[in-house]
Amino acid sequence: MAPPAGQIRPAKYLASFVLIVVALYALVFFTGNGSAKPKLGIDLQGGTIVTLTARQENGAQPSEEALTRARDLIEVRVNGLGVSGAEVVRDGNNLTITVPGADSEGAKGLGQTARLAFRKVLGQPIPAAAAPNTQAPSSSTPPSSNASTPPSSPNQTASQPSSSNAPQGRPAPNLAAQPSSTPPSGSTAPSSTAPSTPSAPSNVDPKVAKEIQEAKALRQATDQQILQQAALMLDCTKPDPLRGNDDLDKPLVTCGEKGAYKYILAPVNPPKEDTQTKPDDYSTYSRLTGEDINNAAANKNPNGTGYVVNLDFKSDGGTKWGKFTSANVQQAVAVVLDGEVMSAPTIQSAITGGSTEISGKFTLAEAQSLANTLKYGALPLSFDASEAQTISPTLGLQSLKAGLIAGGIGLALVFVYCMFYYRLLGILTILSLGLSGLIIYAVLVLLGRWIGFTLDLAGIAGFIVAIGITADSFIVFFERLKDEVREGRTFRSAVPRAWVRSRRTILSADAVSFIAAAVLYMIAVGQVKGFAFTLGMSTVLDLVVVFLVTHPLVAMASKSKFLSNPNLSGLGGAAREGAAHRAAVTGKTAAVKEA
Amino acid sequence: MGNVFTRLYVGNGAFDIVGKRTRWYIVSGIILLVCIGSMVFRQFNLGIDFEGGTKISMPSVAESSQAISTSAVEDSYAKALPGKKPNAVQAVGTGASATIQIKSPALSIQEVATLKTALANDTKPKGGQGAISDSAVSASWGGEISWKALWALFWFFVAVTLFLAFYFEWRMAVAALIAVFHDVIITAGVYSLIGFEVTPATVIGLLTILGFSLYDTVVVFDKVKENTRGLLGLTRRTYAEAANLALNQTLMRSINTSLIALLPVIGLLVVGVGILGVGTLQDLALVQLVGMFVGAMSSIFIATPALVDLKMRDPKYIAQAKRVAARRAKTASSGAVVAEDIESADDEALAADLRKEEALAAAASVPHRTAKASDSRRRPTGKRQR
Repeated sequence: MAPPAGQIRPAKYLASFVLIVVALYALVFFTGNGSAKPKLGIDLQGGTIVTLTARQENGAQPSEEALTRARDLIEVRVNGLGVSGAEVVRDGNNLTITVPGADSEGAKGLGQTARLAFRKVLGQPIPAAAAPNTQAPSSSTPPSSNASTPPSSPNQTASQPSSSNAPQGRPAPNLAAQPSSTPPSGSTAPSSTAPSTPSAPSNVDPKVAKEIQEAKALRQATDQQILQQAALMLDCTKPDPLRGNDDLDKPLVTCGEKGAYKYILAPVNPPKEDTQTKPDDYSTYSRLTGEDINNAAANKNPNGTGYVVNLDFKSDGGTKWGKFTSANVQQAVAVVLDGEVMSAPTIQSAITGGSTEISGKFTLAEAQSLANTLKYGALPLSFDASEAQTISPTLGLQSLKAGLIAGGIGLALVFVYCMFYYRLLGILTILSLGLSGLIIYAVLVLLGRWIGFTLDLAGIAGFIVAIGITADSFIVFFERLKDEVREGRTFRSAVPRAWVRSRRTILSADAVSFIAAAVLYMIAVGQVKGFAFTLGMSTVLDLVVVFLVTHPLVAMASKSKFLSNPNLSGLGGAAREGAAHRAAVTGKTAAVKEA
Repeated sequence: MGNVFTRLYVGNGAFDIVGKRTRWYIVSGIILLVCIGSMVFRQFNLGIDFEGGTKISMPSVAESSQAISTSAVEDSYAKALPGKKPNAVQAVGTGASATIQIKSPALSIQEVATLKTALANDTKPKGGQGAISDSAVSASWGGEISWKALWALFWFFVAVTLFLAFYFEWRMAVAALIAVFHDVIITAGVYSLIGFEVTPATVIGLLTILGFSLYDTVVVFDKVKENTRGLLGLTRRTYAEAANLALNQTLMRSINTSLIALLPVIGLLVVGVGILGVGTLQDLALVQLVGMFVGAMSSIFIATPALVDLKMRDPKYIAQAKRVAARRAKTASSGAVVAEDIESADDEALAADLRKEEALAAAASVPHRTAKASDSRRRPTGKRQR
């Protein structure tokens, strides 16, 4: 049956709402992993959350590039913790690290600035595929250069940019096989087990500190044999406790090339005990760290295919680099970031002048990543831990429960009040609130999946507060209805008039509420953002529900004789007032007629 | 005029709120003074987020399901970190969620780890060391959050003023802002007076009150706008009376809305205090409870009266009020009684809207052809059927 003109077709609106709900839930269940659970914040599921704030010494605004780079670097470190679901999110000048789960306290030390250093490669890189236990920790004889197949990975070379001998293709890694002659094992080598680790960062967990000490004793030993053994035992698939904690004046056994090779590296600086190495002896010690680099950039290889990285040292660094390269021609030098070898090119010739070209078969992305590593080496910014929180999973669960109970109590109170005050319309309110909850849940799940939105305690509070705003849209409408009925209209004829009037009010009021949420979301930090997001989202969804559900339902009820009974609809008082008003008006007109 | 409830329910202008506005101004002026005085002299009880420090929270039930006393926790603290003292150790919450909260000066990550291990060994809380939560905040963090919040506040005011000035008019925007400032100052004042702890969550809550308070005011102003459309051409009532009528008509709505918005917040507060003891939920609920209450009050007693005062500075409205008075004097002397009508003055606008609505509905609906055909079959029209 076609409705008379001016009446809406409630079924159509309701159908489109059902369609929206079906579509949302289809997306929830049939896309992604199909699990219908919103992403919970750390304060609801337990874990560690650390907020790092970038600080610059001169108080200037850190550059966009530096912040992004820092975020990426910290993400790599977080992933190094081996906890799944860890995240690093940038928010203005803040980086927020979230690590879920009970074993997440390691995240607190991640904000330290990482270090870049150049270390001479001692001996051959060992393919990591050689499982530690298949190859028994062999004797003192180090692997000779021609014993193992030349690894294909360190196929980079370092040379002067102008030099035409930049090798193309895949040069054999002419690594010097001279581990026995390396200075640390020479005359001044201190006792082999020297786990003196005064530089262990003081702000780590004792357990972690112990791990670091053990790793240092083994992998930074000054004894060649222990180093060899450590290299064989090292498992590159495990998180590295030495990440960023290595001592620069000791040798280092570490992984590189994405865990494909293991390297034994010379110290960067001569150890303090070593009084015999002359200050200008660069045969082993590069004395170069990230601070000596002025700039690095990825460029197209001028002499062939692929990309190269051009490196510029500061003047002091250039001198050191020149001395180091001239002392180590045809040897490999490793670029070590946070204890991991990023690249290990072979020095083709002495490089003086401070400019170096690292060539190899780089793709653009690889070259850029290496250039960034060289340029920013360390975190480009220093960070303060503004907030470090560890929430036990039990506390998280309690908070979640408490939030849900609070929401439940709130809803129940609203239900009771609506039933008492609006009767039939109260049922519609409850229904509308329920449906609005239904789509909010689906949207939460989807947003968690798509944009990584996490629901935290403040977010739940946002929803609970939004109950009031959602319910208010209905109240504005119902009060308008009452106004119309009071003026003498029937329930049925009052609905379209009340709707047209209240719609405007609802739209403007929701607009204000949405502006509030949007401004908060854009400017605020941390928890405030979650709160603003849920508040704004429920404001928008409130409009959907009011337009597609509440109004059509009221229109339907107004057409039903039974449902529009004044006693049921709670409009009795207003109707009586309306009748009196009508009577008065009629009486007046009658009186006028009589006159 | 019936009892108060009927008058409220019917909303026919029975409460003279605008007329007695001096009274409300004085009352809220006194409250504002007290609040500002308290903020200046008593200041705020700032949480660790503003002063920096470490907070540790652990279950207050031991593995052996015996309660852990706060003194045991204090002893353990003293043993683990000699030379340091917790600021406060208190037991909060009930049942399974009961916890002991330790507030301490800032501790390094290592000290926190040591303390947690010591607490786990000494008091053996249920769930072991993993059940102990900690939170360390640098002194600048709360400041940063607050600074951002103030910034948000500023932009919020700019955006909302523009919106209101565009949607209503500048006087309404100004009146709404006056009401909002009033709410913020009083809410902050209540915090200062009672000495509730101010945390970042409180600041969040304060910001949303603004949204809510404005929301409430917008609904009332919408009705005022509707009631005063074309008012200048009529002598039926003055602006003040029309505004008062609008206020009465939306009074029940304001009360209902505020109640409904407050009910979930009360739920939040009950749970926040009763179950968890302290934390985000409680902080948010508390500030919202205060703010929403004040917001509802101000949208009734401050916003509209302020609007009327602003409007009555306009000579056009003063002249109109004089005309209304003159007409009334005339009718009174002639002795005729005119029934005051509560109908709104925007019937024309409404009719236009309804016509638009009808046109839209007609355009969107299925053409009536089939129905008409069957009708014509049932009702002979005298015309030949094709």
